[in-house]
Amino acid sequence: MTGSRSSDAKPLRRRTLAVACALLVLCASPAGALKPGDRAPVFSAKALEGGASISLSQYRGKVVYLDFWASWCAPCAAALPALDALRQEFPEDQFRVLAVNVDRDPKLARQFLARRPVGYPSASDPEGDLPARFEVETMPTSFLIDRQGVIRHVHRGFVRDDVDDLRRRIQQLVAEGR
Amino acid sequence: MRSPLRGAAGLILLAVVATATGCQSVRPWERGALARSDMAWDPDPLEATLRSHVYFSKEASLPGGGGAGGGCGCN
Repeated sequence: MTGSRSSDAKPLRRRTLAVACALLVLCASPAGALKPGDRAPVFSAKALEGGASISLSQYRGKVVYLDFWASWCAPCAAALPALDALRQEFPEDQFRVLAVNVDRDPKLARQFLARRPVGYPSASDPEGDLPARFEVETMPTSFLIDRQGVIRHVHRGFVRDDVDDLRRRIQQLVAEGR
Repeated sequence: MRSPLRGAAGLILLAVVATATGCQSVRPWERGALARSDMAWDPDPLEATLRSHVYFSKEASLPGGGGAGGGCGCN
């Protein structure tokens, strides 16, 4: 009696463990951020300042620097004027900067931009759908996207010294299409 | 024969695993509230330094204030 109970119990325990492991694997959040070589997800989102929505596809054929930012993120605040200056170094028909603001309250982002205006558009995504789709791992994260819509560089965080490296990468991508 | 205890243990294990997968970390773009200055351990670094200096000077205690001194406040 005892022997038959233990022999029944073993496969049961193994089965339970197998089901538990399968549940863990199935329910775990997906890992692995977008990387260079991946196609940038196409999106359309509300403009932060109102008006027409902003979509990535309207920039097809240009090199795009897509920046995820928030008003509460200190490195983002440092990146905004630097990106605005970088944007002005290249012709508009070759290179564009596009931002996605992820503030829960878009009013805070608008107040931030009123104090530190930039010349490029921001989409507003208070629900965080876009950073989830782009698998943003830190704030700020930016994606340098080529004319075909392929991510060529992922930039995580921002310090002023990053600008030279970004400029070189943008120059390289802009030159590719000529 | 299947033991009811083992069955219950299996069910509990499954329930624990299923609920554990519901634990979620705060995503990077959801940290607006955590970034507020009143959420910081020391919202004002200058004030924290001054308070710390006064504390270890008055108390003459180590490692409370993290510095050496005999209570004169001159170090």
